[in-house]
Amino acid sequence: MSRALWTAVALAGAVLVETALSHLIVLPGRYLDPFLLVVVYCALHFGETHGMLAGAAAGWVQDVVFGGPVLGLSALSKLSVGFAVGLAAGRFLIATTAARALVVLLAAAADALLVQWLASVFSVEARGLPALALVTRATLSALVGGLLFALVDRRVGHSRI
Amino acid sequence: MAQAAPARRSRFLLVGLILAHLTAISHQVDGGSGASLLQRALLSVVTPLQRLVGGTAFLATELWRGWGFHRETYAENRALREQVRSLETELQLRAHRAQEAVRLRELLALQQAVPLDTLAAQVVGRDGVPWFRSLTLDKGEADGVKLDAAVISATGVVGRVFATGPHAARVQVLLDRDSGAAALVERSRVSGVVSGQVSTAEAGAEDLALKYVSERADVVVGDVVVTSGLDRIFPKGLVIGRVRSVGDVTGLFREIRVEPSARFDRLEEVLVLKGSPPALETPRSVE
Repeated sequence: MSRALWTAVALAGAVLVETALSHLIVLPGRYLDPFLLVVVYCALHFGETHGMLAGAAAGWVQDVVFGGPVLGLSALSKLSVGFAVGLAAGRFLIATTAARALVVLLAAAADALLVQWLASVFSVEARGLPALALVTRATLSALVGGLLFALVDRRVGHSRI
Repeated sequence: MAQAAPARRSRFLLVGLILAHLTAISHQVDGGSGASLLQRALLSVVTPLQRLVGGTAFLATELWRGWGFHRETYAENRALREQVRSLETELQLRAHRAQEAVRLRELLALQQAVPLDTLAAQVVGRDGVPWFRSLTLDKGEADGVKLDAAVISATGVVGRVFATGPHAARVQVLLDRDSGAAALVERSRVSGVVSGQVSTAEAGAEDLALKYVSERADVVVGDVVVTSGLDRIFPKGLVIGRVRSVGDVTGLFREIRVEPSARFDRLEEVLVLKGSPPALETPRSVE
């Protein structure tokens, strides 16, 4: 399966998960961001370019399907995160689950902060994310991401590192 | 080296994507004045350019219009100058004709007043040399002009014909030193001879001299001098001029200056007497 197709399937899955979560809990984005997990995974495995493109695609899907009045904030944030993670993956050894979880944690925090910063820059009314919520979201994403990445790696069997 | 190219490419892609997203976001965000941030950003960039282009276009248009207007004005100015010149010429022609009409009317009046056969002639030349005072007329023997014929103008006596051709005649004007006309003072009936003073153009040469007037004769400044008819050239009673000064006695006679009534410098039409003036009645004793 090509990278693009795999990414598309993963994004479709993220849409389904997000949709499902939105039916289960109020404001699922406060706790978990499945699109971010797809982006980080792509960046870790395919490098910064793919991570960046996957981030842009994921962000646009998220913005269009679940986003606010202004499209592109999540896309910009996620493409930046995807690029950074991909870059980091090229520089550092990020192979263990713990390391990946840490990357997801940092990426989730960076993504949340970046979106809020962009919202303030463009004067877009966005619901603020308190520090505790941000930590919770980052932590949950890291846990889920770490586990999920390991599962996927085992199931799909392709690993970049 | 091989890894540097993809890295550079990805960085370029990142920058491009970031810019694209910023543009896309800006396009959606209201800038506060009804226009999106992108529109405002674009307007802030484009407006000066538009202003520059618009200003340049306006300037070019104005320059072109100004040039066109200048050309039109120039052409109009030239046409108006031509028109003014033409009108001035026409005006001068009309003024000339009006003056000519006045002169001819005066001449006609004189012709009707003089009880002799006269011929109107035009002055076609004057004073070819400085030693003589003469005029050239456009009428000659073929028209009936005879030698010694009197020539008069509406304002006074001009002179006499001293040379004739078939179609032209020369006139010796009274201003010439060698000319002469029998004259008398109209008021006191004192007689004398009027002639020119000098043959070159000197100061005071435009006056006539009334000669052979005795020292006791009654002549005062302002007296009108007319022809006496004794010379058998000029009919009696034609105005010669007016006494300008009565000088001291030189020898037996007074020195009298007469201002000629004929405007010799402006003569254009004159009358030439075709016949001789009527003969004076001569006393039998003299005969």
